Amino acid sequence: MRKSLHPFVLVMGTGVFLFLLAPLVIILGAAFSDTTYLTFPPQGLSLRWFENVLAKQSFIEAFKTSLIVATFGTTFALIVGVPVAYALARYRSGLPSWYGSIFFLPVLVPEIVFGFALLKTVIVALELPVMTALLVGHTILAIPYAVRVVGASLAAFDFSAEEAAKSLGCPPVKSFFVVILPNIASGIVAAFILAFITSLNDVSISLFLTGPGVSTLPIELFTYVEQYFDPSVAAVSVLLMVLTVAVMVIVERSLGLSAVMR
Amino acid sequence: MSNASLSLEGISAFHDSNKVLDNLNIDVAAGELVSLLGASGCGKTTTLRVIAGFMQPSQGRVVLGGRELTHLPVHRRDIGLVFQNYALLPHLTVVDNVMFGLKQRGVSSSERRRKAMEMIEIVGLSRFVDRLPAALSGGQKQRVALARALVIDPPLMMFDEPLSNLDAKLRVDMRVQIRRLQTAGERTAVYVTHDQEEAFSISDRVAIMDAGRIVQLDAPEVLYKRPVNAFVARFVGFENIVPIEVVGRDGGDATVRLGKDTRIAMSEKDFGPIPDKALLATRPEGLQLGGEPGRAIPATLGLRTYLGRAYQYHCASDAGTLLAHGDVEKPQAPDQTAHLAINPAQSAILPYETPAASQEDA
Amino acid sequence: MSAPLMRHQFGRVAPLLLVLPGTLVVVLMLVLPIGDTFSETIGPQGDRLANYVKFFSSQYNWLVLNRTLSVAAMTTLISLSLGFFAAMMISRSRGQLRQVLMIASVFPLLTGAIVRSFAWMVILGRNGMVNQSLLSLGLVDAPVQLLFTQTSMVIGLAYLFTPLAILSLVGVLDAIDDSVLEASSSLGASPLKVFLQVTLPLAIPGLIVGGVLVFTGSLAAFATARLLGGESQMILPTLLHEKAMVSFDWTSASTIAAVMVVMTIAIILVANRIARRFNPAMG
Repeated sequence: MRKSLHPFVLVMGTGVFLFLLAPLVIILGAAFSDTTYLTFPPQGLSLRWFENVLAKQSFIEAFKTSLIVATFGTTFALIVGVPVAYALARYRSGLPSWYGSIFFLPVLVPEIVFGFALLKTVIVALELPVMTALLVGHTILAIPYAVRVVGASLAAFDFSAEEAAKSLGCPPVKSFFVVILPNIASGIVAAFILAFITSLNDVSISLFLTGPGVSTLPIELFTYVEQYFDPSVAAVSVLLMVLTVAVMVIVERSLGLSAVMR
Repeated sequence: MSNASLSLEGISAFHDSNKVLDNLNIDVAAGELVSLLGASGCGKTTTLRVIAGFMQPSQGRVVLGGRELTHLPVHRRDIGLVFQNYALLPHLTVVDNVMFGLKQRGVSSSERRRKAMEMIEIVGLSRFVDRLPAALSGGQKQRVALARALVIDPPLMMFDEPLSNLDAKLRVDMRVQIRRLQTAGERTAVYVTHDQEEAFSISDRVAIMDAGRIVQLDAPEVLYKRPVNAFVARFVGFENIVPIEVVGRDGGDATVRLGKDTRIAMSEKDFGPIPDKALLATRPEGLQLGGEPGRAIPATLGLRTYLGRAYQYHCASDAGTLLAHGDVEKPQAPDQTAHLAINPAQSAILPYETPAASQEDA
Repeated sequence: MSAPLMRHQFGRVAPLLLVLPGTLVVVLMLVLPIGDTFSETIGPQGDRLANYVKFFSSQYNWLVLNRTLSVAAMTTLISLSLGFFAAMMISRSRGQLRQVLMIASVFPLLTGAIVRSFAWMVILGRNGMVNQSLLSLGLVDAPVQLLFTQTSMVIGLAYLFTPLAILSLVGVLDAIDDSVLEASSSLGASPLKVFLQVTLPLAIPGLIVGGVLVFTGSLAAFATARLLGGESQMILPTLLHEKAMVSFDWTSASTIAAVMVVMTIAIILVANRIARRFNPAMG
């Protein structure tokens, strides 16, 4: 039985949601416009900007790079991050209490600072290829999600189930895969998706690491917006939104959004 | 200001499209404690929420001490509420919680502190004034809630299952304390509970509710002895309810038929008038083993359980399974035949209902 | 060595083995590069702080620093206020409506900073919606400069971070028991007083968490600052980028980097201190 909302809060709250959604609607309108300049509402409808974008080799290449970097960076982060989350939840007395904070350093350090630091060390000093530097940067970007989101589902897990499995004769490593992994699977999926989307949208780290030839989609868009002001960017934005909606629908169908946002 | 009479006049209320209160009328006299008793969903909490102003009735009026409350917002009703889950303000200390209502009333800070401390002492929490609610036990929290509601000296106190989160021993202590404070201040009070014993022990009158209506509103003693129907009877411990039919009358004696074809004689001198068709309700202790054939119900003994002061037997009779009591000195083996004597003091003759209707409420 | 002893030792080593790869990744790829960047800011012997003295003696840098902080403060204030209304609405909704509102809050968060800043370029640009409306209503004769101002930057950042504020606040508002609010009004508190004396104090933990996220986020929001603030409205991250990639003055860039990290850490420490003082024991 919820108390009803005060009318003032209702009006203001509705206003906030309009504020959140209206710009996205405007982008949608701009993407389908048939003028060469950006206006809203659009004068006429066309798909020319989508055609324009999909024909643009630099956008396509950058999108591929973005997907590769986001997929592998997030996967690496999970491979090293899930054991950390497990150890932090399972062996509270075996590790100093501050140890978990190490894995929140990537949140503490502004991304642009980190990107610049990677440029100086990984690219200039170590002379590693751009792709490697991007993977390094995005792995670090994803680690807090791996540790925190997976950690949250581990925190809710009763480890006596693992002990029960061992008492029934299941060896330790196997009991992790048989007992724990299935129970934190939704946490891992959630961590993957959140980190993946963050990585896919990242500007500040990639900004310093992309060079001629290798670029991510946000950087390509960023450069484009700074030079041209036409609805192509709106079209790309719409395509990215469609991708985001698709991901959200899949997550909602399989896990429920609330499970992810916790 | 500490006691005013409360009247609910023809209150109806809806939840979504379900009618949860159906033309409810209750008068609570000044200084009286009336309990609303019933199973969950009977409308007792809704009644309290309508009085408090958390819910608007679709019809009817709420009048407190001559002042109509029906359309007043909650914060102007001046009712002291004690909640089931205490509802203490988690960010305020004990004394700040107790002072909260006084602060809303613009009482000066020294005066509200004095009043709060006085009330905290009455509920015995002087040692805990500066604690936060999280550092208190359930019983202590409920005493803070009580002090907080009492200190504003409201014309009406209301309790929403205040003891149901406490353990059994504390529950009994707390209800004594609530009753003591209520009678000492001659406070008008409405008390919602699903616990029959609790309601009977502290109330001047109890309203037994079912499906948004009051089935019976009487003093506990009356409810206990003279339930008006099978629903109330079951609520107050008449566990055996069987339909009876008068098949012959002989002066003050009636011959009644139970079940398929058991005939016994019942005296109207003992039981009061017996209509041609009726329900006979008895408590388990009102059916005693070793009755006189012809005036007692023949049955076969089944499961025996030990209750301390007596043995209780599940007996198979023509009218179905009956609970009866037997002498604690003479335990009986199962499968014996026995006659169950009906003690009129532990029985009641109720208006006839079809078995289906009377079963539905069970 | 007996088997139980080995077991015991394995039990002590296991957590270390599990955290080793993750720790190595963070230390080698984050801590070392950052440390290296910091070390570059240390001046020659005898004048270790030379770069910081230089940074802080520039009037322009102070202007940028002030702008960064005031933009972040404004953004935080706006995002938390807007977020509070939205979060109250979510927290009071049930079922499908709540789902829809949650998605409406999360969705912008999942679209990138570029997309969201670009939307505001469309709205606030010279030929944008606002200017067109103003012109057609005859309120102005020529397009007004809305873009590349501090205001456009704050609007864009508030738009970027309001969802974070909402998510930080929904949790604390959900945790407030209805009966506590009901008890407060039954004790005579008007709706406004219930809000000020009960809801708001109980939401402080969420306001602190949300405030830190928004404030530190605004300090570092490069893309939005660049697209909506432009070159005339530099804040620290855009200045860092300019020093590093345009003037190739990596020492200055490193100094800015160090200042940004110190500021972020300082804010988090202060917030922690405030949080501890206000920590209302819930439940």
